[in-house]
Amino acid sequence: MSRAQQTAGLFTALQAPLPQSLPPRLPPAPPTSTAQRQRERTAELWAAVQWPPGQFATDPPAQLAQQALLAQRFTPRVSLEPPDALLLELRGSVRLFGGLQPLLAQLQSVFAASAVVALAPTPLAALGFARTGKSCCLTDTTRLVSRLAPLPLRCLRWPEASLQRLAAVGVSTIGEALRLPRAGFAQRFGAHLLQDLDRLLGRRAHPRITFVATERFSSRCEPSFELADTALVLRTIAPQLQQLEQFLLQRQRGITALLLRLVHRRQPPTQCVLRLAVPEHRAARLAVLLQSKLQHVVLAEPVRRCELRSGPLLACAADSTQLWQPGEHGGGALTQMPAFLESLRARLGAAAVQGLRIAPGHRPELLSCATEPVWQSASARRVAAAVRDTSVPWPAGRRPLWLLPDPRQLPLTVDDSGHPLWQQLRLQLLAGPERLETGWWDGADICRDYYVAADGQGARLWIFRERDAGRRWFLHGYFG
Amino acid sequence: MTRIESNPQLQQLLQHPALWRGRSIAPHATIATGYAALDAVLPGGGWPRLGLIEILTAQQGLGELQLWLPALAQLTTQPEARWCAFVDPPFELFAPAFVMAGVQLDRLLVIREGQSLWAMEQALRSGACDIALTWLSRVSSPALRRLALATEQGRAPGVVFRPAMAEHESSPAALRVGLAAVPGGVRLRIIKSRGVSRDLIDVCWAP
Repeated sequence: MSRAQQTAGLFTALQAPLPQSLPPRLPPAPPTSTAQRQRERTAELWAAVQWPPGQFATDPPAQLAQQALLAQRFTPRVSLEPPDALLLELRGSVRLFGGLQPLLAQLQSVFAASAVVALAPTPLAALGFARTGKSCCLTDTTRLVSRLAPLPLRCLRWPEASLQRLAAVGVSTIGEALRLPRAGFAQRFGAHLLQDLDRLLGRRAHPRITFVATERFSSRCEPSFELADTALVLRTIAPQLQQLEQFLLQRQRGITALLLRLVHRRQPPTQCVLRLAVPEHRAARLAVLLQSKLQHVVLAEPVRRCELRSGPLLACAADSTQLWQPGEHGGGALTQMPAFLESLRARLGAAAVQGLRIAPGHRPELLSCATEPVWQSASARRVAAAVRDTSVPWPAGRRPLWLLPDPRQLPLTVDDSGHPLWQQLRLQLLAGPERLETGWWDGADICRDYYVAADGQGARLWIFRERDAGRRWFLHGYFG
Repeated sequence: MTRIESNPQLQQLLQHPALWRGRSIAPHATIATGYAALDAVLPGGGWPRLGLIEILTAQQGLGELQLWLPALAQLTTQPEARWCAFVDPPFELFAPAFVMAGVQLDRLLVIREGQSLWAMEQALRSGACDIALTWLSRVSSPALRRLALATEQGRAPGVVFRPAMAEHESSPAALRVGLAAVPGGVRLRIIKSRGVSRDLIDVCWAP
């Protein structure tokens, strides 16, 4: 479990109401050996919460996740056992809730109305007790086998075929299965069932995936009058943005997507989507971006309701105030670069701002492509530069700075001495030919001789002549 | 220039502390142009790091962008490089040519979709760009003035490529250079500069 999750779990636990009065001290436990006490302190303690079948009828995963949110007030280590059970690791929470009995009482008060709660040292054992309807509380590993033995094998939810084969040899309880020789059991019923038995008794580790809640911010505001103007809309949603900032600050998270939905009386709602380059949580910054986005929005009708919905919450990098002014010693590099991109994109659209990259291959049309601009920090660039392969020499021929997206055919004629003429001016061939013949495998093959040419006015052109029957000349770029 | 440098008597005179030469009021910081002939003439030995720079050409494709390649390579390879923004370039930038000149592609930004003056001002003012280049065929003097102010706020030079006929319009640019083609290179004419006599410089491209 990550440190952040641990902290989050601690907060959830702190927010849970503490018991009103301290519980009466339990009667002194029978003397136990030091080794056993040590084992009990460190061993895991799992609670299984099992709902009866058919409890989550409408949307099982979502309803189970909702219950998992409830369970997170007891421990951060909640894991789902689809379709109808939860597992909670409670060892770390026992002390916080004032002992095992008060903790169990609180668990029962939350879940017992509709589900069975059982405690055991291993997840599968707890599930087994809960599925057979035994709301027991077993903390002692040494008594695990004797308590599990009478339970039917059916509670482990093994495949029906395996259960039938076991029943055919007269094995229907866990105790009977445990009495079978291990090697024979694995051979006849499968190694994974044997592993399940080992997990049941704690002989084999049983790591569980901790449930992490996916949270979104969503808020709506219905002003008492209709808003005819985007500036008014911005003023109306300002408190909602403040709420969003509070929401994100409490979770130390940021968002990269925000949806503003403006609902009208008759017309379909106007939607305004904000996409950010880095996770953001500040209301002021979001307001500025929304403003530049809304400037271009024409409202078909006055707005009756504003809805604000966030995208997924992402970990937010802590920011600090700049020591240097922008431009001094690279000051501002960390926070301003993405902010600059966002302000451009908010006004011009996401496609207006592009980076540049080289695609593998030799066809000039496909070689240079637009890409999402990514801001790499200086250290990341150093690493990238170190691994970049510089040993491969770039094609020997010269390449122009400007490329025409589609080669433009030149109405060239050839004079007596074989020189091409363009608009009555002699094109002087400075370099070439450089033959590019590639792409035969995907139908877009080229077969060209490239030349560097100077036109009469001093511009240098990158032209080519097709090698097929047409022998036509094309202009493909300027050296700029 | 060479005449003064080669004359020993003049050299001796120039050592005098009371004597003050126009070209010594160069802007504080410059970027080497990568062309020795040009560096020798420009104040401070390179392109100014602040203010607007106008490049005037009779037609596109004379080598106006080629002129900037060494400076771009230098700006994008430095460790604390910021963006290099191309605002509304007239054609597609061809990445291999930039790579061959040593320019790092991950710091290049191409901004299109019109509103080039606004985008240029944002690029210069934000402090997120090391340099911003744009192509403007017709632009008013107040708009250029805004850009010039923005370069000082963001501490980044702005390069404006304009047609040659704009030479006679007034401009707030710190440096104005006219370009004309000569065989195998380009001839630069400094139209306006702080503290430099107007010179003609020939720059030859590498074969």
